[in-house]
Amino acid sequence: MTDATVTPTPAPRTKGKSLMSEDARTKKRNAAEKRFRAYGLGAITVGLLFLVSLLWAIVQNGTPAFTQTFVTLDVALLEEKLDKTGNRDIDEIKKVSTFGYNPLIAEALVTATADIETEVTDKDLKKILSASAAALLRDQVIANPDLIGETVEFRLLASSRVDGYLKGRVTREDLARDKNLDAAHLDLIDVMVEQGSVERVFNWDFILGADASESRPEAAGIGVSMLGSFFMMLVVLFLALPIGVAASIYLEEFAPQNRFTDLIEVNISNLAAVPSIVFGILGLAAFIQFAHLPQSAPIVGGLTLTLMTLPTIVISTRASLKAVPPSIRDAALGVGASKMQSVFHHVLPLAMPGILTGTIIGLAQALGETAPLLLIGMVGFIASNYPDGVASGFLDPNSAMPAQIYEWAKRADPAFYERAWGGIIILLLFLMTMNIIAILLRRKFERRW
Amino acid sequence: MEDHYRMDRTMSTAQDTKISARNVQVHYADNHAIKDVNVEIGDKTVTAFIGPSGCGKSTFLRCLNRMNDTIDICRVGGDILIDGEDIYDPKVDPVQLRAKVGMVFQKPNPFPKSIYDNVAYGPKIHGLAANKAELDQIVERALRRGAIWDEVKDRLHAPGTGLSGGQQQRLCIARAVATEPEVLLMDEPCSALDPIATAQVEELIDELRQNYAVVIVTHSMQQAARVSQKTAFFHLGNLVEYDDTDQIFTNPKDPRTESYISGRIG
Repeated sequence: MTDATVTPTPAPRTKGKSLMSEDARTKKRNAAEKRFRAYGLGAITVGLLFLVSLLWAIVQNGTPAFTQTFVTLDVALLEEKLDKTGNRDIDEIKKVSTFGYNPLIAEALVTATADIETEVTDKDLKKILSASAAALLRDQVIANPDLIGETVEFRLLASSRVDGYLKGRVTREDLARDKNLDAAHLDLIDVMVEQGSVERVFNWDFILGADASESRPEAAGIGVSMLGSFFMMLVVLFLALPIGVAASIYLEEFAPQNRFTDLIEVNISNLAAVPSIVFGILGLAAFIQFAHLPQSAPIVGGLTLTLMTLPTIVISTRASLKAVPPSIRDAALGVGASKMQSVFHHVLPLAMPGILTGTIIGLAQALGETAPLLLIGMVGFIASNYPDGVASGFLDPNSAMPAQIYEWAKRADPAFYERAWGGIIILLLFLMTMNIIAILLRRKFERRW
Repeated sequence: MEDHYRMDRTMSTAQDTKISARNVQVHYADNHAIKDVNVEIGDKTVTAFIGPSGCGKSTFLRCLNRMNDTIDICRVGGDILIDGEDIYDPKVDPVQLRAKVGMVFQKPNPFPKSIYDNVAYGPKIHGLAANKAELDQIVERALRRGAIWDEVKDRLHAPGTGLSGGQQQRLCIARAVATEPEVLLMDEPCSALDPIATAQVEELIDELRQNYAVVIVTHSMQQAARVSQKTAFFHLGNLVEYDDTDQIFTNPKDPRTESYISGRIG
């Protein structure tokens, strides 16, 4: 040892290769490594590009849905038209249908555009308003009969063509073959915008409102189907979580290892890969045709989605139970805990972050699922009313957010296209929120051992 | 030092039998892991099980508190009596048995909870404390017996997993004694510890002998010689020789024991 330091004999060069130059093999290996890094970087870049362009497209196409064009009009609510008896009897007032209100609106339009030079005939003026304008008027009058006889300022929905013009979707050329609106209307609108009687404002009705018929895209909202989704998620959460977690705890911790449990295990894994439309037809057969639950009801949707979500929850729960070190189970059993105590006091809390993440991801998957809903009838009709209460929330026909988006996407009017993208933004916001909750819960419950 | 131990041993051999195993057989599926083991383990004695890896000493130890029950393919035959009661009798609940026969594992395995909760868990589930004050007392007593009280008394609510390896193992010993067991099983308690922590745990084992029958499985013959009064040598599932530790190490009767001790097999 000491000798070596005393006589520093320089190592003979001939004996080994110099470290200063790379040999062929090392060069090859380094090149391979560099190549692999480049591939990886490339893959990530491509992925990011896709993501960015997707988000860009969604935001670009969807944001217009969040604003809506309104026309401010002074409408004279003539007593002789709305309440002939004059005693403000609410039942009498209700007898006047929206047809009774249309002339009032037409009159108001003529008055409002009196000082504007336009080629539009008085009769065609109403094309700039949504068909739902009269209904809005009627609702307000019924809610407040004292308005009758006065001239009241109303903010009425503009028609989807006018709205599209303000959003840049509709141009004068487009209107050449469109009988819904003429180029002359647009000149009129230009003037009205300048006057301030036509304006684009934030569209709460899109977020909170109900779907509208095919001819009135400007009135369509996603609110009611959002509520449908909410009730479905309640069903999924309260069924899939306890059933899934209980099943996985039993399979993982208590069940004997034999052919039967192996069979169950294989089948659960297979179920997770079954296309969702299959669950849809199962739900149709089991819940509607056999159990006679109401069609199109969120409870049926929830039950069907529960079937679909269960395997996801079982698989993730079992994985997180497996990840708890066996020494923890030994420790608990060693101090005289029963099997159940060891599972519930020690294993389950440690597996909690994984279980919660799995559950929320399962729920998010269910929230975005459309195919099974097609088969149980939650698509293809107008969800026009809010449910009256919790019970009817579960049992009354409703739609769900993805089904609503699908419905809008297949409608002819291009104004629905913008609504579909807007719906996707809302859906994505929900999914993002759920994922953030999953991450937060994970952080909160995560413990090291 | 040597003399001190020898005196202890002579005293301890006079103690009563705590555990007696008769014709114990253990099968793992088709593998006959323990073959016809007969052994009498004394109360207030440290009994060491030594032998090469895979000889069945841990398996036999885990029979003594029925930890093998958790392994589906494991079958145990023969009789194991603690205080004259057959622990494999169908009337015996393994949970009650394990409260009476505590266990310390090879790798320190504190629960990922506070030091206090680690120790208090056993007494809580067995209902040993009527109120918080009693529980505090039990925890303190257990931590003192585990020779770790002075190190952790100021941070009882810090996580048990934040302690060093040796402290964790002593915490596990404290956790095991907190349920007032009568027998303490230790499965290679020092194999994951450094020499200083090992010395501390060995010292603790010697103290624990005042109150418990201690059975320790160890790979280290030196450790067996240092801490035990009786030693059992296992080989290929057989109990080859069981005698006073002195006898085993100085004057083994079986040639296999001698080979193992002198390092020729194992």
